Amino acid sequence: MTGRWQKRLADAAIPVAIMIAFLAGWEAVVAFGWVRPIQVPPPSRIVASAGELALDGFPAGTLLGEHVGITFLRILTGYALALALAIPLGLLIGSNRTLDAATAPIVTFCRSVATLSLLPLAVVWFGVGEASKVFLIGYGCFWVMLSNTIAAIKLVDPVLISAARTMDTPPPDIFLKVVLPAALPRMVAGARVALGVGFMVIVGAEMIGTTRGLGALIMEARTFYRSDITVVGMFVIGAIGLALSYGLTRAEAWLLPWERRMHERRP
Amino acid sequence: MRKPVRLDSPVIEIIDVSKRFQTEAATEVNVLDRINLSIRENEFVVLLGRSGCGKTTLLNVIAGLTPVGDGEVRVNGERVTGPGKGKGMVFQQNALFPWLTAKRNIAFAAVNRGLSRKQADDLAGDLLELVDLAGAGDKYPFELSGGMQQRVAIARALALDPKILLMDEPFGALDELTRNEMQDELLRVWSARRKTLVFVTHSIWEGLMLADRVIVMSPRPGRIVLERRIELPRPRSRTDLLLLATYDEIWAALDRKAVTATPAKKVAS
Repeated sequence: MTGRWQKRLADAAIPVAIMIAFLAGWEAVVAFGWVRPIQVPPPSRIVASAGELALDGFPAGTLLGEHVGITFLRILTGYALALALAIPLGLLIGSNRTLDAATAPIVTFCRSVATLSLLPLAVVWFGVGEASKVFLIGYGCFWVMLSNTIAAIKLVDPVLISAARTMDTPPPDIFLKVVLPAALPRMVAGARVALGVGFMVIVGAEMIGTTRGLGALIMEARTFYRSDITVVGMFVIGAIGLALSYGLTRAEAWLLPWERRMHERRP
Repeated sequence: MRKPVRLDSPVIEIIDVSKRFQTEAATEVNVLDRINLSIRENEFVVLLGRSGCGKTTLLNVIAGLTPVGDGEVRVNGERVTGPGKGKGMVFQQNALFPWLTAKRNIAFAAVNRGLSRKQADDLAGDLLELVDLAGAGDKYPFELSGGMQQRVAIARALALDPKILLMDEPFGALDELTRNEMQDELLRVWSARRKTLVFVTHSIWEGLMLADRVIVMSPRPGRIVLERRIELPRPRSRTDLLLLATYDEIWAALDRKAVTATPAKKVAS
């Protein structure tokens, strides 16, 4: 038991040491005046700004927790709407050859359009309020989830369907009890990628019409020449993304206990 | 030991079955060319041939997974129009549902023929015992070796309580030792649960060790070129002189046909 912990500590020691050296070096180059704090805010400044943001807020009165909360709400709303539309539609298109051939160019085209290039249109359609932000996040997530769901259904091994047919499985059950579970691992992976897209879109989506949210925070900081706040905003987005991705991976392992097979068998 | 066989009523009748596939080069391939074959109740028939000789296509046509081109296939006197209905099938590999445990894979088949969950579970337990996997019921397929997976696949096919069992190179992906072990295992299971069994392989020895009758097929066009009945008791010895002679005979039939096989004809249009 202790041996294992010792080994874990030893394994962690080198990355931690590298991290400390990196932060110290970063602090030093600013302290020696080689780069200006506005270009690269030093770690000490970033920590102080994070404290300021959490307690006093930036812009005045808007605390860090509030930024995080509103951003979370926007991403989750857009993401949930996207999944609610993309999954049924993807299941339908994926299981119908004709429909798939007809829609394939549209899906690829729309997925290739950079989500943020729709910002001006989104404002015209939905105004500068919440709706346009949710729309942009939803748009980004939707096409990723749709194309992943279609691919997941199409890539189901035909031998599984043949096997089900030789076992007198009624057609609805072939879809519900065979195709769907067989496609599930790829769909879950798609859902994880789609969530990542939501986080990539958020800064742009919050660029206009609001001072609340992590994206807005980053844009506001720019106006006030507060690079330190920008870095805090970036860091918080990264940390949330990391935490969610980790959580989803754990949820996947719990939800799909057989999926280890994919990693073991498929390169 | 075997039940008396009624020669007048074959379980599987393959009558003048032909099947053509269109290839990309706009040529037509005669995968099956006027195949006629009758299989009696509880007979163990091995379809043997090189890759591409149509043996798997013939099996799929019997299973109802591939529609018959010309001619017809009858099982118990009824024309085959689709899969299922008492025709169990074991595939080469990876046909178990990876999201279900071994036991649930077997129960899946049982539930489909109207058994309650409880009955299906009991049956799955019995069948796991039959294939020597009593302790592995709660394991997922990825946790089982290739040989164990195929044992589960056999148990799953048996859970349908099928009249006939179709096996498509079920041991083809296994190493030789496991393969020999599985052949013994299959014979043991088959003697416990008599079925009409059609077994596809490209291994001559597998055919010789297992079959009541070996059907040798030639590729393009897929035709039956040799039929040999093997009336030796099982388990059989690999050094049995009759088997060795039959081996040579089959090998000669495979060899000759590979050389003289007619080329695929061009499509007129």
